[in-house]
Amino acid sequence: MADPMLKLVGVHKRYGALEVLKGVDLDVAKGEVVCILGPSGSGKSTLLRCVNLLEPPEEGEIFLEGQDICRGPGSGTGEQSWNLDFVRQRVGMVFQQFNLFPHKSALENVTMAPEKVLGRSKAEAREKATALLERVGLGDKLGQYPERLSGGQQQRVAIARALAMEPHVMLFDEVTSALDPELVKEVLDTMRELASEGMTMLVVTHEMGFAKEVGDQVVFMDGGVIVEQGKPVDVLDHPTQERTKKFLGLVLER
Amino acid sequence: MSEFFHQYFDFNYMGEHFWEVLEAFLQNLVIFAVVAVLALSWGLLLALLRQLPGKKFVPVRFVTIAYIDLFRAIPILIVILLISGGIPFLEFIPKDIRIPHWFGKPDPFWYGVAALMLVYGAFTAEVYRAGIEAVPRGQMEAARSLGMSHWQAMRHVVVPQAVTLIPAPMLNELISLLKDTTLVSVIAFAESVLISRELLAQSFNSSAMILTAFFFILIILPMARVVDKLIARQQGKIARGSHIEVA
Amino acid sequence: MSKTRLAALFAVFLVAIAALAVAGCGGSDDSSSTGSETGASTEESGGGGEPLTVGSDIPYPPFEEGKPGEYTGFDIDLMDAIGERIGRTPEYTDTSFETIFRDVAQGKFEAVISAATITEEREQTVGFSDPYYLSEQAILVKEGSDITGLADLEGKVVAAQQGTTGLELGKEKANASELRPFPEGPDAVNALKAGTVEAVIIDAPVAQNAVEKSGGVEIAEKVPTEEEYGIALAKDNTQLLEEINKGLEEVIADGTYTTIYEKWFNLEPPKQFQG
Repeated sequence: MADPMLKLVGVHKRYGALEVLKGVDLDVAKGEVVCILGPSGSGKSTLLRCVNLLEPPEEGEIFLEGQDICRGPGSGTGEQSWNLDFVRQRVGMVFQQFNLFPHKSALENVTMAPEKVLGRSKAEAREKATALLERVGLGDKLGQYPERLSGGQQQRVAIARALAMEPHVMLFDEVTSALDPELVKEVLDTMRELASEGMTMLVVTHEMGFAKEVGDQVVFMDGGVIVEQGKPVDVLDHPTQERTKKFLGLVLER
Repeated sequence: MSEFFHQYFDFNYMGEHFWEVLEAFLQNLVIFAVVAVLALSWGLLLALLRQLPGKKFVPVRFVTIAYIDLFRAIPILIVILLISGGIPFLEFIPKDIRIPHWFGKPDPFWYGVAALMLVYGAFTAEVYRAGIEAVPRGQMEAARSLGMSHWQAMRHVVVPQAVTLIPAPMLNELISLLKDTTLVSVIAFAESVLISRELLAQSFNSSAMILTAFFFILIILPMARVVDKLIARQQGKIARGSHIEVA
Repeated sequence: MSKTRLAALFAVFLVAIAALAVAGCGGSDDSSSTGSETGASTEESGGGGEPLTVGSDIPYPPFEEGKPGEYTGFDIDLMDAIGERIGRTPEYTDTSFETIFRDVAQGKFEAVISAATITEEREQTVGFSDPYYLSEQAILVKEGSDITGLADLEGKVVAAQQGTTGLELGKEKANASELRPFPEGPDAVNALKAGTVEAVIIDAPVAQNAVEKSGGVEIAEKVPTEEEYGIALAKDNTQLLEEINKGLEEVIADGTYTTIYEKWFNLEPPKQFQG
């Protein structure tokens, strides 16, 4: 395999005395969709947040497109702009709680970062944003404010917003867990499309169906480590580890 | 019982001294206006300094927090007395600044303004902080994930939202400030309470004091009602779920 | 800090405060400045006999000063002496000057001795004893000031105490640019020393006391106003008035007055008060 898009080596994350990630190794190839499953507290979200340096790891290395984003000039604190700019302009994130800017319209949500961070002109940003919102099926909602949009619509705007920065990797942190069941599909469909267009994606989710259909790799985490990983068919239908079996058993019994 | 009314509600007396007391009350309003502008600005600066992230800014945050804690803890009266009782003796400060007589206002006015500004700067900083911290963390995270710097995120995402949350508590602070302008009477600045006490000493009648209280009520009651309305509106918004928050 | 540590710290703090309070208490109580019930927060002086509640605006040296339980001054000594003669024990309560006449008129205390000048205006509200002190006003200035008298006060910032005859004099005679009324006399003197005011109009003996005790100030001019101080009582309390006048007479006659006067002013008292 060519150099992986994303490579995690021995990543540890501690909050004071509590160790949440106890040494995680993971390779993600370009265009790959990796679905991360596991019980709450297993460290799945924390892992994502390490990748875009919202929570810089205490130990270990993370290579994005070959660059070690945890080391380098003045790294280690995660607050050095060199690393941050590099990472955040290549990695987009969509959150469980959408986190849309409530004081801005859908269009403005999508244009803000390209304008302020990439310095795009207003016109250019608007054009792009309109195209993106149409792509996620919200072309008619450009001027609406988040409070008037359904959860599913908000999440799709959030996806468009992240895409506006032209990321190479997209992180999805349980993005459908907060949605009413009937709204989940529209978001998953959007994500499916994105995957089919070749986006590299890390998806923390409980949606087994999605993982099986769209995922190239499934990773099961528990207690801060990766317990099992492999092709979706293997991990989901024929898990080898006890813990995996237990978790899947619980989940499928829902 | 009629003695009670005579002591406190002698309307003739109030009529006689109406303009005198009103003029003095206007002084309270002047102090209030000047301090409000200064304290709101100073408080915002303090609040923003307190938010600066990272190891680099630890000393800044430390000093800011220490300042805020100090001036929230010391009674305003003490601050006024310390300033007016000490500053004039600091001979290394040029006399024009040490004993200010600016814009026609005598030194006790400026000592009072200084004291109130120092203290209310701390109070307003806390209101700003509460507003900023009430903005969900996810907003800052989303903004930063999109590549915005801390400063950009504050400016375009956090502070604009914080500002909508602060009118009610800020107005409460301003109401306190208006009432606290009366503390300047203790260093002999001719505002309404001092005048009322002077009238009391002369004529042994407290009606002027009641008149003063009445002026305050007249101005503050509407302000308090506005606060109540703002709070109700805020509650309504949260109930209708305009800020989508997932537990 | 964990919750338990915080609680422990708080407990230690409380114990420390309690210990300090017990150690510092030692018998003297606090007295409120708006008067209070007799016995709860006042000072007693020797003599035995029924207590006599007395109000005074403290401090105003050399007439009254000191901490609760340890008040001293010319007024205090004089009142104690009178009390002895009439079989009453004065108990003093600190009160602000601007309400003091109304307070005694309303019965908050039985008498007021507070370097209070007998004026017609005040006589509308209270009754006064025979005069016990002859006074005048003084213009107090910073040492080396070029103010020499009332006339020089024109256009200057002048201070006085609220509700006093000194303030009245200032209003009438001094053409000050600002006449600043301080709630407490000593605050006016402090403002003078600080330089925020240029002169203080205040009772001459108080001014003299400031010159001697606090220094840095001098008397520019004494303004004879022929003021007399009296002990104030409720107007209808004629019996107590008679008793106090009698007591005062005796104190003057047997020379006690002279002793007290010389103690506080280092001078012989005026003829009318000599035994």
